Amino acid sequence: MMERGNLNLSVRIRLLFTGMILLAVLLFFLDILFGSVSYPAWEVLQALFAPERVDPTLRTIIHEFRIPKAITALLAGVALSVSGLQMQTVFRNPLAGPYVLGISSGASLAVALFAMGFPILVAGGLAWTGTWTVAVVAWIGSFLVMLLVLAVSARVNDNMTLLILGMLFSSGVGAVVNILQYYSNESVLKSFIVWTMGSLGSITGHQLYVVAPAVLAGVLLAFLKIKDLNAFLLGESYARSLGVRIGRSRLVIFAGASLLAGTITAFCGPIGFIGIAAPHLARVLFKSSNHLLLVPATLLTGANVMLLSDILSQLPGTGTTLPINSVTALLGIPVVIWMIVKNRKFASL
Amino acid sequence: MKVEQRQVTLQTENLEVGYSPQGKMDAFLRRSISLSAVSGEIIALIGPNGIGKSTLLRTLAGLIPKVSGTILVKGLPVDHYEPERFSRLMSFVSTEKLVVPLMTVAELVAYGRFPYTGWLGTLKKEDHQRVADALQKVGISHLSGKLINEISDGERQRAMIARALAQDTPLILLDEPTAFLDISNTYAIFQLLHELAAREEKTIILSTHDLHLALQKMDKLWIMLDTTTLEGAPEDAILKGWLQRLFHDDKVGFNAAKGEFFFRKEPVGTLSVEGNGRACTMVVKALERKGYQVNRSSREEIHVAVREGHKNISPEWDLLIRENRRTFHSIYDLVSEL
Repeated sequence: MMERGNLNLSVRIRLLFTGMILLAVLLFFLDILFGSVSYPAWEVLQALFAPERVDPTLRTIIHEFRIPKAITALLAGVALSVSGLQMQTVFRNPLAGPYVLGISSGASLAVALFAMGFPILVAGGLAWTGTWTVAVVAWIGSFLVMLLVLAVSARVNDNMTLLILGMLFSSGVGAVVNILQYYSNESVLKSFIVWTMGSLGSITGHQLYVVAPAVLAGVLLAFLKIKDLNAFLLGESYARSLGVRIGRSRLVIFAGASLLAGTITAFCGPIGFIGIAAPHLARVLFKSSNHLLLVPATLLTGANVMLLSDILSQLPGTGTTLPINSVTALLGIPVVIWMIVKNRKFASL
Repeated sequence: MKVEQRQVTLQTENLEVGYSPQGKMDAFLRRSISLSAVSGEIIALIGPNGIGKSTLLRTLAGLIPKVSGTILVKGLPVDHYEPERFSRLMSFVSTEKLVVPLMTVAELVAYGRFPYTGWLGTLKKEDHQRVADALQKVGISHLSGKLINEISDGERQRAMIARALAQDTPLILLDEPTAFLDISNTYAIFQLLHELAAREEKTIILSTHDLHLALQKMDKLWIMLDTTTLEGAPEDAILKGWLQRLFHDDKVGFNAAKGEFFFRKEPVGTLSVEGNGRACTMVVKALERKGYQVNRSSREEIHVAVREGHKNISPEWDLLIRENRRTFHSIYDLVSEL
């Protein structure tokens, strides 16, 4: 029996963790292997481990594009799923997640408004000069929406309200995009729309030096708050009566969650459904509500799902690619539907 | 044990409680609350719906801020305690039904160890022992591996109490712990809490609407009224007529002699009953419930004669209206006829 806080992990849990890590390594390699130009696996392996032996084109493709993209996929999966887990726990709402709650939309909205205000910085595919600014704007946007959602959910604590709020934010983004369409020049518009479709490929090696530490910091914050996250499972009253400083703790958790979701949204655009689906998959696989297990489990699940999505988005063997957002939606929506159906049963308990 | 030897664990002085959303302070009638509790005693907080029992309990538990006045826990004002320290003094069981998927009973009870564990919340040997003890004290050791969403309401309430016990606090506050429970579970929980208070030397304070049980099992009542709060033994409350004041409705009364509540009604009629034994007691009860005034000494126009049952003979009731006699084999049939 697995007791709270007990690190005597069962064999099943150990196997799951090992399997997940091996799967992540495999998917990471497959993600590098597949792309718009196909190369034999052994050549890609050579490019990875003995780059001087392969031709410069392949070397460039692998090292400048595919590896950063695979790392981005890994980081995005980790970040979105962990932030989703934190939100689901703090809101005590199984449907919470950065995309559903409008956190990603908030970041988008902020970026869109920013793009309208300072088109020069954004033109040319959210160029390197503007990336930092866009990242900061997206962070601020996501954090503000998070606070707003928090304020609303403190008054009306039910799933429907939060979902409607998320929908409203998406509509809000749509409205701003319309305005943008009306007034902006084409290049700003195109870069924004491409940004909203989500892309793991737009991150260069340099930007990874921003994204990776930000994600790492966010994950670290999540680990630091494992105990409090567990307390939030029982609801605010119990958490408080167990000695948790609610306000402070929630602020730290939300700062971490916004950092994670905001960073990925800033650099890759709003990527949906990983944040809501991965924590549920982790719960189903690990059969636990303890965050000591769930945080690492969710992180691995998210990374795997995101890598898989990226591989699928390349439509291996066809030479074309799909927007990553469509793939995550198609993979994640069935999980969300399953959650809603299951939850209805729950509510009538 | 004399009261002086017991430690005063909780005391309020001129406390005012209430929610103040957007400064609407008058949502609650302002009343100043001065109450006290000692160790080893169980107290029921009673009062009509909406009087603010939950608000008082939640204020005492430090979940919502007080409006004014003082709350002393173990002789010190509550503001004096850091949240971490306070969580080792007072545990709370809310009235809300906890639904958390994939959490076992043992995991739930282990939450009680939260104030004592490190930053990851890992349990040490002593914590495991405390959890096992708590489960055993409430009699659900056999359920420790079950999921909390798969056990009954009564079992879940026991698990919640075990969680509070594992928290190892001198004070335990429970907001309507029997709200979701059937009669037998309600009795069992009252009995359990009653025993725990005495045996574990804890102060247990609970709110309830079950006056009948509160009168039987509590060491003290805290009675919340519109303008004041009163405290004393259940028997004091009966003697001083405090319980009457709980009812604004003239139709409900409290019979101090029987220690029971009754409904006041204009009698629908008078009749007489003749006979002995339980068959007679029960028919009187039924007739009174129907609003008749029952005359046991002289004969009225409507008369019921009871023939008591024996080993193999069921009791029978004869209804005599003037000279017209009819025999009934159940009280239900008799009463329906009237």
